[in-house]
Amino acid sequence: MKFNTTITSVSLTLGLAGCALPMFAADKPAITDQGEINPEAAGKAFPKRGFSPYANRNYPTRPFWGDQHVHTGWSVDAGAFGCSLGPEEALRFARGEQVKSSLGEPVKLSRPLDWSVITDHSDAAGVIFEIRDGNPTLMADPQIKKWHDMMASGKGVEAASEMISAQSNNKVPPAMKDPKLALSIWQKNTAIMEKYNEPGRFTALIGYEWTSNAGGGDNLHRNVIYRDGKDKADTAIPMTTFDSENPEDLWKWMETWEAKTGGSLLAIPHNGNLSNGKMFALSTFLGNPLTRKWAEDRSKWEPMYEITQIKGDGETQPSLSPTDEFANFEKWDQANLAGVPKKPGMIEREYARQALKEGLKLEDQLGVNPFKFGFVSGTDTHTGLTTAEEDNFFGKHTGVEPSAHRWDHAVIKTPQVNIAGWQMAAAGYTGVWATENTRASIWDALKRKEAYSTTGPRMTVRFFGGWDFDAKDAETRMPAEAGYSKGVPMGGDLQQAPEGKMPTFLVAALKDPLSGNLDRYQIIKGWMDAKGELHEKVYDVAWSGDRKPGADGKLPAVGDTVDVANASWTNTIGSPELIAVWKDPDFNPTQRAFYYGRVLEIPTPRWTAYEAKRYGIKLPKDVPMTIQERGYTSPIWYTPGK
Amino acid sequence: MKRIFKDPLLHFLLLGAAIFVGYGFVSPRSLDESGKVVITQGQIEHLAAGFAKTWQRPPSPEELSGLVQDHLKEEIYCREAIALGLDKNDTVIRRRLRQKMEFVSDDIAAQKEPTDAELEGYLKSHADTFRTEQRLTFRQVYLNPQKHGDHLADDAAKLLAQLSQAGSQVDASTLGDSFLLEYEFTAVPAGEIAKQFGEQFPAQLLALKPGQWQGPIESGYGVHLLCISERTEGRLPALAEVRDAVRREWDNARRLEGNEKFYQALLKRYTVTIEQPAVEAKKSTEAQQ
Repeated sequence: MKFNTTITSVSLTLGLAGCALPMFAADKPAITDQGEINPEAAGKAFPKRGFSPYANRNYPTRPFWGDQHVHTGWSVDAGAFGCSLGPEEALRFARGEQVKSSLGEPVKLSRPLDWSVITDHSDAAGVIFEIRDGNPTLMADPQIKKWHDMMASGKGVEAASEMISAQSNNKVPPAMKDPKLALSIWQKNTAIMEKYNEPGRFTALIGYEWTSNAGGGDNLHRNVIYRDGKDKADTAIPMTTFDSENPEDLWKWMETWEAKTGGSLLAIPHNGNLSNGKMFALSTFLGNPLTRKWAEDRSKWEPMYEITQIKGDGETQPSLSPTDEFANFEKWDQANLAGVPKKPGMIEREYARQALKEGLKLEDQLGVNPFKFGFVSGTDTHTGLTTAEEDNFFGKHTGVEPSAHRWDHAVIKTPQVNIAGWQMAAAGYTGVWATENTRASIWDALKRKEAYSTTGPRMTVRFFGGWDFDAKDAETRMPAEAGYSKGVPMGGDLQQAPEGKMPTFLVAALKDPLSGNLDRYQIIKGWMDAKGELHEKVYDVAWSGDRKPGADGKLPAVGDTVDVANASWTNTIGSPELIAVWKDPDFNPTQRAFYYGRVLEIPTPRWTAYEAKRYGIKLPKDVPMTIQERGYTSPIWYTPGK
Repeated sequence: MKRIFKDPLLHFLLLGAAIFVGYGFVSPRSLDESGKVVITQGQIEHLAAGFAKTWQRPPSPEELSGLVQDHLKEEIYCREAIALGLDKNDTVIRRRLRQKMEFVSDDIAAQKEPTDAELEGYLKSHADTFRTEQRLTFRQVYLNPQKHGDHLADDAAKLLAQLSQAGSQVDASTLGDSFLLEYEFTAVPAGEIAKQFGEQFPAQLLALKPGQWQGPIESGYGVHLLCISERTEGRLPALAEVRDAVRREWDNARRLEGNEKFYQALLKRYTVTIEQPAVEAKKSTEAQQ
């Protein structure tokens, strides 16, 4: 493994490089990361282990994996597409159980997830009639009392039959038509979340999606996620877009709810790529100039952004990042959600990297950075099945569950725009650096942005920033120890550089044991110069093999072992782990900046390759058959002193 | 000219014109027979309650008036749409109705409170679902295949020989190659090991003899040398320990069972004829011949 000139960490090869084996009782010296040892020193170098290796350890030791964006048949659109799986089935599936898809196909995850948020559209969380409610008004009616008693004694089917025939003969007791007896689907939903939430084993967070399609398909959707349980969540019915399509009204709704219940909420927007310039617009929903209050609200309620999911990747776009050779990745950039084509100037307000840059400028103007967000992923599946792995992809909705033809089915089709099934991205999951697998711990980590996004693989990614990281920190066996004690984790802030110091970053990534090796770890920097101009630069920070950057500063491609016909690959290239310390060579202490990590895997078969092999079909040339899966860490921001 | 007749836009316009003409001809006033809309006090209260449930405050008079006007519009559109038969053969409406029946059915199934004996019985008959996982305490030393190339097996064997000589109590946390996962795992359930090292790993681990350095064992990362110091077998917990989980599974089983019974009860009221698709029918006739 080699690093470029700005990297201070070089040696990772511990102990066994060139067969210099560590010795205990023998006479040859050995090299370890504690230095060279000899038999006399061996006693010191290899002490007996202490009783508890976890003593004094209070930082997260592994990421908890989940999907904060799952729709079930209870979402009106998912139901209409034929999804018959409800939240109960969706949670059982996320917990690792085998279930049957809506089309009858048995399906199971390669590994259980640790947590999930079921985010059915709030527009479907409305009222239904609740016949078995033991409401006293109802019980006053002898007919209803009789049915209630029948149900209570286990004769539910008979009771229902009687009710149905009463209904069809127009003989339903008047009390049952009383709208005050309505009960919301919301309460049914939260009851299910409560049942499946098992602290320490699997966390079911309560949530919903507020689905604003302003102006005819401009995607301003937000997932609202609760830190608390059913008792608090049930006190209000979720905000719907019948109430308002303006995100500011959603924030007001959240504020009122928090004030009334003492609970906590956050919102996660997604698919700016389908918002036709609205997701990160430089004016309010109503077209007014942004204010400090608006910036405060946005950054308070929306600490995270869903950067990648089935409907495309939202990091950046080739026209915005022309020198980034990895920018053209899983793009849905033709239109909004309703197929209205884009006009010039829209793309600039749709992607995360550009928004982070604009945020620096807005902070300069307004005093608060409204676009100070970290990154998560979700699938946004409408099948109830959170599948983000290429070899196990059940699609966007039940209409595009596995079949020999789904690659060609239109997902969005208008006279000007055609997004075909093959363009669906099998993505993504969120890794959360929480100390324990509970609602509170996971929610808190999301709130402080200590989480990251991947396009599906469960790669472990660390990203720490500080002023004093040096090469040795990348050589220890527990980089997190140095990371937390000498710096801040992803989502954190660096302020006012100490005299003569520049930001240093400790970065580390470990592959998903079931997926491809790692190609490289990059740091993406965005900053604002003295003239107020915005810039970005991608730095290769750690990579596999002995590649050397070319004259243009670019690292050569890692290679490709994918056998498309057999949908297979080998991990003979790339590295299982990457770790390094990096210093920003271009740092200017007077300029606002942000830094985030991007980890790329070696090429592996894309879901389309598995599809072609399984169904024995030949896909057109323009359908990509390989993919370099990736992870995006939440950024660390640098703010100069006053 | 022929092409024009195939144009969907033309079809739409013609249909619109037909509805418009038919509308004026058949029903000069309204397609709805009664022609009366009464918005009751109860409905208004319901609208206000719904608003308050979302916004956590009652609507202002203007807001309430807006809700009533919107409800009126919805009522009239729904009546007219139903009169035009627009509710017929609409997949979305049909699926929504089916779903509402499923909600009803779910609720009926969820009615009964289980006895302890029933839960006890369920726990015993589904012991595998509730058995606690095997737990392992172990230390591991990792070798990165990229760093050892052809020498991997050789290096692993040599390191294992030395670890074995040093014994099970040695602190080997600095040996082998850099690795982001922990060196030592304490009483970790097999499922957690699978999440971190891959599905195959726990079974391989469980096959090892505790108390000594062993391996190499392969994972998705490379190879590992391991020393298991403690192994706790899974056991069937008492009901009190896992009551919530047993109740959840019992409920789910009753729900699925109840839904099936409900559907079967409804199905009995119908005489069902399913015609064979033409191709299938032909095939089966041929097969008979």
